[in-house]
Amino acid sequence: MNYLKEMLASRELLINLTMREVKGKYKRTVFGQLWSLANPLALMLIYTFVFAFIIRIELPPGDPSGLNVFAIWLLCGLLPWIFFANVLNSGVTSLVSNAGLIQKVAFSRVVLPLSQVASAAYNWLFEIAVLVVVLSILGAFVLPWLPLVVVAMALLAVFASGLALMLSIANVYFRDTQWFLSIILQLGMYLSPVIYPVTMVADASEGVGGIWGTPVTILDLYHLNPMVHFLDVFRSLLYDNRWPDPTAWLVCIAWAVGALVVGLWVFRRNEKNLAEAL
Amino acid sequence: MSDVAVRVDHVSKSFRMYHERNQTLKSAIMRGRTSVHEDFWALQDVSFDVPEGSTFGLIGSNGSGKSTLLKCLAKIYHPNKGTITHYGKLAAMLEVGSGFHHELSGRENIYLNGSILGMSRKEIDRKFDDIVGFSGVEQFIDQPVKNYSSGMYVRLGFSVAINVDPDILVVDEVLAVGDAEFQKKCFDKFAEFKRSGKTVILVSHSMDSVRAMCDHAAWLNKGTLKAVGEATPTIAAYEASLDN
Ligand SMILES: Nc1ncnc2c1ncn2[C@@H]1O[C@H](COP(=O)(O)OP(=O)(O)OP(=O)(O)O)[C@@H](O)[C@H]1O
Ligand SMILES: [Mg+2]
Repeated sequence: MNYLKEMLASRELLINLTMREVKGKYKRTVFGQLWSLANPLALMLIYTFVFAFIIRIELPPGDPSGLNVFAIWLLCGLLPWIFFANVLNSGVTSLVSNAGLIQKVAFSRVVLPLSQVASAAYNWLFEIAVLVVVLSILGAFVLPWLPLVVVAMALLAVFASGLALMLSIANVYFRDTQWFLSIILQLGMYLSPVIYPVTMVADASEGVGGIWGTPVTILDLYHLNPMVHFLDVFRSLLYDNRWPDPTAWLVCIAWAVGALVVGLWVFRRNEKNLAEAL
Repeated sequence: MSDVAVRVDHVSKSFRMYHERNQTLKSAIMRGRTSVHEDFWALQDVSFDVPEGSTFGLIGSNGSGKSTLLKCLAKIYHPNKGTITHYGKLAAMLEVGSGFHHELSGRENIYLNGSILGMSRKEIDRKFDDIVGFSGVEQFIDQPVKNYSSGMYVRLGFSVAINVDPDILVVDEVLAVGDAEFQKKCFDKFAEFKRSGKTVILVSHSMDSVRAMCDHAAWLNKGTLKAVGEATPTIAAYEASLDN
């Protein structure tokens, strides 16, 4: 309860630190905020070329939206994934790279990782807004779903915050964390349904059946990855324009709350020692 | 003497001295522990009171624990034993310009730095002109701070920090930078603080400035308190120890 009060008191600092990130990031570039779109667009082009043109992944059209554009379907999952990866990659170093500040000024340390989340979210909002415009032009009836899209974004942001809190602390004690994480995230993208649909995993899993005679299938293991559920929710809302599977919602909420609770607990336990440990 | 502004009560602080610091997983896994360490006591059983309204000097040779004590006051470090109580709002200036962003302008950095030091936006709005006026960098306020000279950088940082307007101000050797004019301005500011009944705790290696500014002093040596009380005898005792 006290902790909540302290965090509320620091919200102005959080806003200022976030603006420091946002403003500092594209300062002195010609294209400014447009750079935020460059990375997803470049990935979209290359993945579309490889996976839609060369490998020819089969996609069912959006139901009921009727969309059938691989590049757009890809973006509906790629943007949340890039946000997630950005939060973790910048969150993990948020304490170590502000060591000087932590050692000289007493303030609520939790704002450091959270400002990374907020500044990534700022860029993400911009990207999603552009995507929504494109979706609408292509005829998807996405506007009524926007409130739910925002809820899903908030859930993913909470989930990513929880992980970022834990990782930032881990990185203070083990600087390996940040390098390890960047590998995990690269692999993680291929273990999540970003560039291929879950249905392909389901088909492949069916062919194998239970692993070593157990009733557990590869698909079951695949579902242990929380991002499978988050991406499912985003694609249902943005690309298909329908209610996501309620279990997917529940799983997302559980992961988000769980990650946040554990993240805050780990952070609280360690924040007093940060100035010495860094 | 009058009331107490800060009470330092049997404070001890230890650091881990690592013989082999290995913040990698490899070493942790191979040895089953992160590092080999022993405790080093940077402060041992230090107790004193800082009277309200005094200018209190903290003196001692390098590595005697002055900065460590100030960081304990500022709640950046937490003592292993003992307690520190302060009566009134405390602000610490251990380094000026912490958290300045080089690409942002002086104006933006005032707001950023101010909020790191705990000021609200409204408060900074109100004090903005004072801050800029005191720093003397009006002309460059909309320039990115990376174009500032190091003295200007310090001036701006100091101006923000001094305008936090605490009851107790804690300062660590930040006065050494800046030109003579600015140093004079700072001394005047401390004098003004004193006149309005506020407490200043400062660390300095210049015995002349301690003598000029402080009415009370404490002398730390290798983490233990050697002497505390009126400034003149404490400084004399310290200087006598140096002559030997
Ligand atoms: N974070 C830390 N980890 C380990 N040892 C530390 C740490 N901070 C300070 N020390 C040790 O504590 C002792 C006191 O340091 P401190 O910075 O308080 O000295 P000081 O009195 O401020 O010296 P100076 O006059 O040089 O500023 C030193 O021996 C230093 O090595
Ligand atoms: Mg020092």
